[in-house]
Amino acid sequence: MTTRRARGAGRYAGMLYVLPSLAILTLVMLIPIAMTVYFSFTSYSIMGSPQFSGTANYQRLLSDAAFLGALRNTAIYTLISVPLQTVVSLLIAAALAARFRNRLGGFVRSALFIPVMSSMIVIGSVWRFILGSQDSLVSQVVSFFGLDPVNILGNPGSALVAVSLVTVWKNIGYFLVIYYAGIMEIPHDLYEASSLDGAGPWRQLWHVTVPSLRPITFLVVILGTIWSFQVFDLVYTMTGGGPGGGTVTLVMAIYDAGFKNYQMGYASAMAVALFAIVLVISIIQRRVFAKEDNS
Amino acid sequence: MTRTGSRRARGRASSIVVAVLLLAVAGLAILPFVFMVLTAIQKSSRIALAFDPAKLDFSSFGKLFTVYGFGSALVTSSIVVILACIVNNIVCSMAAFAFAKKPFPGSDKLFWIYVATMMVPGQVTLIPMFLIMREMNLLNSYLSLFLPVINAFGVFLIRQFMDGIPDEILEAARIDGASDLRIFVSIVVPLIRPVLVALTVFTFLTTWNDFLWPLVSITDTSMQTITLAAARLQGQFVTDYGLVMAGATVAFIVPLVMYIVLQRQFVQGITSSGIKG
Repeated sequence: MTTRRARGAGRYAGMLYVLPSLAILTLVMLIPIAMTVYFSFTSYSIMGSPQFSGTANYQRLLSDAAFLGALRNTAIYTLISVPLQTVVSLLIAAALAARFRNRLGGFVRSALFIPVMSSMIVIGSVWRFILGSQDSLVSQVVSFFGLDPVNILGNPGSALVAVSLVTVWKNIGYFLVIYYAGIMEIPHDLYEASSLDGAGPWRQLWHVTVPSLRPITFLVVILGTIWSFQVFDLVYTMTGGGPGGGTVTLVMAIYDAGFKNYQMGYASAMAVALFAIVLVISIIQRRVFAKEDNS
Repeated sequence: MTRTGSRRARGRASSIVVAVLLLAVAGLAILPFVFMVLTAIQKSSRIALAFDPAKLDFSSFGKLFTVYGFGSALVTSSIVVILACIVNNIVCSMAAFAFAKKPFPGSDKLFWIYVATMMVPGQVTLIPMFLIMREMNLLNSYLSLFLPVINAFGVFLIRQFMDGIPDEILEAARIDGASDLRIFVSIVVPLIRPVLVALTVFTFLTTWNDFLWPLVSITDTSMQTITLAAARLQGQFVTDYGLVMAGATVAFIVPLVMYIVLQRQFVQGITSSGIKG
């Protein structure tokens, strides 16, 4: 009788170990998620209390030039940075794995990882001085050739491209490590067989390496896309969202609406939109991965 | 014979070309940081590309600590990072232990909720987190700075690792009369050390580099983190290149030293986050 009771209570013994984690998760994730969704249906300035306003915030999103501009900027930023960082990191990983599994290769991988571990604040500050302002590095180089100094961050179009390229510069080292590990898993016979068929390094890359890495490429693209929809720090320090709002991203729009204009309800609707976008990307990822596993 | 010879020669030549290209790429990755340090330690009105001993000047660093509160920012960031690493390791390994080795009714469903929260970007919870912390009078506290770092990712990461521990080992200890707590502390924790190191590195870096949350939650300059201090400097002194680059250098140097010391663990810890999705 006692043993049975003990066993009955014992079934729940594991719960004790989950409790601290669950308490924190509830406080910092579960409750805030529910609150964000609720606030998104209210009009809520930070001083007052939330007033239910139905779908007004969402209707406003659809016609708000600032939000649509931020969405557009984020999309362009993603379309530039994701394909580029994927292709470049794959090429470097392939080159390293094919010929430089030595100290030189190790050095290149270590060097490329330094931007990965650096904070976006540091990176943004440095690149702002290299690219922006009249006496930037780029201006110094350009005037050396007798041309007028240029401020790459002074024009909305080139500033957005510059921010995207700096992101590529930061992320390559990360995806390189993932690709490099993936290439190491490719059976050596595949390369030997194609070598016997007379395939050169480029054909091997295209016909052996790239197809074998398909699941990893998928991960790299999805991860890169999710990251780019979350970009904030880099833009905050490199351009401050300018010039003329030309580099304001989705998260910066949320920050501005919530913590500059104190429109917590409206900012929450933007946050839900961000969540929806990331969720759709994650679901696509899961679907495709499930398919890969079955085939 | 000659054909394979020339082919090998061509292969060697292209190997050299590729090696030069790769070294150029590595240089491109490092050079901006070199410019940063050079600008920080020299008198210059623009970004410095070369080292000139005559221009050597460390006064920017002095100003950071005497005027701009970088000393207290370093202390704040260090305390927050250490607290985050300790709490994250303890809380997440305990939860992972339950999910992997001591399942209870409903634990599968609960774990599913954990995994689902990993798909929610941190920015989504920013506004309620600010309001909750304000309501609890916790803004400008160490607790508010490290608490949001504790999430489901650590549990997920450690659980995957624990699934690899054979149940027989734990069962044998149980038959010998060891309690769950004892099994957890003296058998499970030593076995999962590699994944704890990876989680520590990951936690260290995300907390040290975190910016958006300190930006909204810290209003008291004496509680600012190092990234916040560096960013504020950059916002205020757009033209004082030496000062801004000195601030960036200080924020950069701590993770760099850790990276140099723990290179392999760093790469593992940071790339393990990619597998989470």
